[in-house]
Amino acid sequence: MTERKVRAPATDELLRLVIESAHDYAIFSMDSEGLVTSWNSGAERLTGWSAEEIVGRTADVIFTPEDRADGGPEQEREQAFATGRAEDERWQQRKDGTRFWASGLMMQLEDRSQGFTKILRDRTEHHLANERVRLSEERFRLLATNIPQLVFRGLSDGSRTWPSPQWIDFTGLGVEASLGLGWLDAIHPDDREGTRTAWRTAQASGEYYFEHRIRRRVDGQFRWHQTRARAIHQLEGPPIDWVGTMTDVHDLRGLQERQKVLMAELQHRTRNLLAMTQSIATQTLRRSGSLGEFEREFAHRLAALSRVQGLITGVDYRNVDLRDLLTAELQAHDRKHLDTSRIRLDGPALPLSAAAAQALGLALHELATNAVKYGALARDNGRLAVTWRIDKRGSERIIVLSWKETGVSLSGTPERSGYGRELIERALPYQLGAETRLGFEPDGVHCTIAVPLQGAADE
Amino acid sequence: MNETLSGKRILAVEDEYMLAQELALFLEERGATVIGPVGTIQAGLCLATRETLDAAVLDVNLRNKPVYPVADVLIERGIPIVFVTGYDELLMQRPYLGLPRCPKPLDKEALLRVLVREIATRAGTR
Repeated sequence: MTERKVRAPATDELLRLVIESAHDYAIFSMDSEGLVTSWNSGAERLTGWSAEEIVGRTADVIFTPEDRADGGPEQEREQAFATGRAEDERWQQRKDGTRFWASGLMMQLEDRSQGFTKILRDRTEHHLANERVRLSEERFRLLATNIPQLVFRGLSDGSRTWPSPQWIDFTGLGVEASLGLGWLDAIHPDDREGTRTAWRTAQASGEYYFEHRIRRRVDGQFRWHQTRARAIHQLEGPPIDWVGTMTDVHDLRGLQERQKVLMAELQHRTRNLLAMTQSIATQTLRRSGSLGEFEREFAHRLAALSRVQGLITGVDYRNVDLRDLLTAELQAHDRKHLDTSRIRLDGPALPLSAAAAQALGLALHELATNAVKYGALARDNGRLAVTWRIDKRGSERIIVLSWKETGVSLSGTPERSGYGRELIERALPYQLGAETRLGFEPDGVHCTIAVPLQGAADE
Repeated sequence: MNETLSGKRILAVEDEYMLAQELALFLEERGATVIGPVGTIQAGLCLATRETLDAAVLDVNLRNKPVYPVADVLIERGIPIVFVTGYDELLMQRPYLGLPRCPKPLDKEALLRVLVREIATRAGTR
């Protein structure tokens, strides 16, 4: 006690020196109204106000205008007055208007009439760093919870530390149930072993990749997902934190499968078409008297084949209606609108399979060619009626098509290539199981084609 | 015309009439007796089971159905098969992938060479 008394004046001086040399802290005092009574070098450095400028003036100027308008300085003094101290972190303002983030402590001096002392510490860097971390975490959270993928965080052994809300929604597994290796419950039993094995290999590479099926809660369907994850590398030591996504690729896989089938179908059709072309060329050549005749006939038959292909692909690889097939063939010969006073088409809508459309198309082409050259469409008083219906024969349903020309007086045996006859009488029975009859009646060609609906119609 | 296939009985399965006729005509020109041609799996099965055969030429795709049931019968009987296919190789299924095949449109002379070789190989193994 005695010692302290003796040294008291020296202690005051020491204290002043300590305060003055605390450059990183703004330390100042003010009276009960907030007027500055002392101002250390740290305060000068931090706020830009010198002691000469501010002593005797209000310290409120280092508050931001917003805080001043809100009564921030008064509230602080009231709290310090009531409880002895007021502590906060906030933006403060320098003399030049720039701002700094400060943690502040205001204390009432022992002698209450002396007012307050305040210590401010510049925490701007720290605050901005925290803010960056917070923003970064917020960005991750927003991204992780708003993308359609199922997001997760976990450890190197594949165990989960955080499942995203999407995962919980999709699988119906709660947070608790998903943690650790609990999430494996939602993986298809056949895929679990592979899923875990892939985690073991991922530890070496730092990257996880696997495709497996995940059960969807709403309908219990196992849907294919592509799971990727990467380790977050730390400055030192092995990676402990992994972040990953699970993307639903179920529909994509379906489309890929479908594409494979379509490609195969395309291959098949193309090769078959080339084979058909080759065969038509050989057959036409065999029956042609001259190369000129071959050229004409071959070109027409190729055009007929091409029209059928156009119809098949024109409706998006689906079926061709019998009426459209007939119309296309007759129009090709007329090169104009069908003359409805001479040509009658009558029958129900009848979608044909591609194979049936091709075989029938070629046969109808031969009938139409004959009609235009020698038959009902070669003269003014000729008439053509093409009618079709669906008949029952026992349990089997058949398409019965009738091609009937009238008003033609056939003089002698019509000159025919024989190719059309072969198509109708042999090819249609062979390919479509059809029964056909081709007759040359006194007033024109009459042809009936009966095709089992099974296989011919696209059902 | 050489008659390389003289006396051989060859099954022809092809669903496209014109192609079937071409094939049959060609094989006959080379001296073969053609069994068929037929264009359905059912008819193919019938002939593959009943007939005495030296070889078979099979179109892989019959009205969008694979010809494999017919192939199975022939394999069982030890009868050589040559597939004719408009398919890409990736679609041929495993047990049949190793069997000889000719792409469409058919190079008939190439088919002939394969047939002769397969028939000779089979004769050699007996």
